[in-house]
Amino acid sequence: MSQDTSAKLLNKDEFRAALEDAIKGREAKNASFSMAWANGDLKREHFARWAENHYHYVGPFADYLGYIYANTPDHATDAKDFLLQNMYEEELSDVRHTDLLMRFAEACGTTQERVMDPKNMNAVTRGLQGWCYAVAMREHFTVATAALVVGLESQVPSIYRKQLPPLIEKYGFTEEEVEFFDLHITSDEVHGERGYQIVLDYADTPELQQRCLDIVRAGAEMRFSYTKALYDNYVAPDLVGA
Amino acid sequence: MPTIRFLTSECAVQFPDGDDVNMLRVAIRNDCGVPYKCASGNCGTDRVLVTEGAEHLSPPRKRERDRLGDLLDQGWRLACQVYASGDCAVQWDPEQKPLDANAVDKSLPNSVDDRIKQKWLSKKDTE
Repeated sequence: MSQDTSAKLLNKDEFRAALEDAIKGREAKNASFSMAWANGDLKREHFARWAENHYHYVGPFADYLGYIYANTPDHATDAKDFLLQNMYEEELSDVRHTDLLMRFAEACGTTQERVMDPKNMNAVTRGLQGWCYAVAMREHFTVATAALVVGLESQVPSIYRKQLPPLIEKYGFTEEEVEFFDLHITSDEVHGERGYQIVLDYADTPELQQRCLDIVRAGAEMRFSYTKALYDNYVAPDLVGA
Repeated sequence: MPTIRFLTSECAVQFPDGDDVNMLRVAIRNDCGVPYKCASGNCGTDRVLVTEGAEHLSPPRKRERDRLGDLLDQGWRLACQVYASGDCAVQWDPEQKPLDANAVDKSLPNSVDDRIKQKWLSKKDTE
């Protein structure tokens, strides 16, 4: 990771704009798998492979947040509350989010056993999951929040707003089957916004701001690579000789 | 530029032409005071009465229809579920609670926040 040691402390508006810029050009909604999804080019078995990978990235999300929580100092009460609330919302406040993912997976023709089996994720997904754990455990809580909430989670509404309509209109799923996407369009708007606020409030030195920017860039690249790898592993081989 | 007017808190927020923005996210970012709990369309705490510009709001999806039922026809929307693409105005009861008892049980109780503060903040911090 590069660090610009000559950087000055940005005000909140400048810092927010820089965080948003760090994602630009790397948005997962523009990766090949997302484009094929939105264009109606995928088959149900491709969505099944997506679910078998996605479970291993988002399934432990509350675990990642738990590690960040443990690294957050007592005085950062609003940051701790945000993490606790986010964990609670992932697991308990509504339908458990992974249960909705499982419902979609089964509608695509795969099984709970296959989805939960880590052998069914590809190497890039394994890398993304490992990166999430490593960042959550090892980084300053502000940097880790920037990575996982700003870099990854805040992208979700823009991805799923593009992907939900074709699931119903082109691929023929019911609203019930795709509730996982509907839920995340809105819940991650709020998680993303509160995440931004934590990062804006607690990245209070030029060095911390720079680390946040670097890791948001890295996170966006990780999610883009993960999404592209789904296409490379499962869709492209189907096109050979087609 | 289009504007969302949050009448109850006398807050108005502009957003760029051509964008559509999540109403609750805008309210949180700009401290407009819309009450909320789950942010996923389950509890209904963030319901707002649309007094102007309903035609500039995204059509209700399943979770919002399920939660609001007949209230939708009376002009209520859930701020967390709505995207605005043009001028609109909303109001709400600042003291409003979740829409049903089940939702209350599933939401994070306010007392948790108080307990966390008691545990983690010193007496000096809370005075």
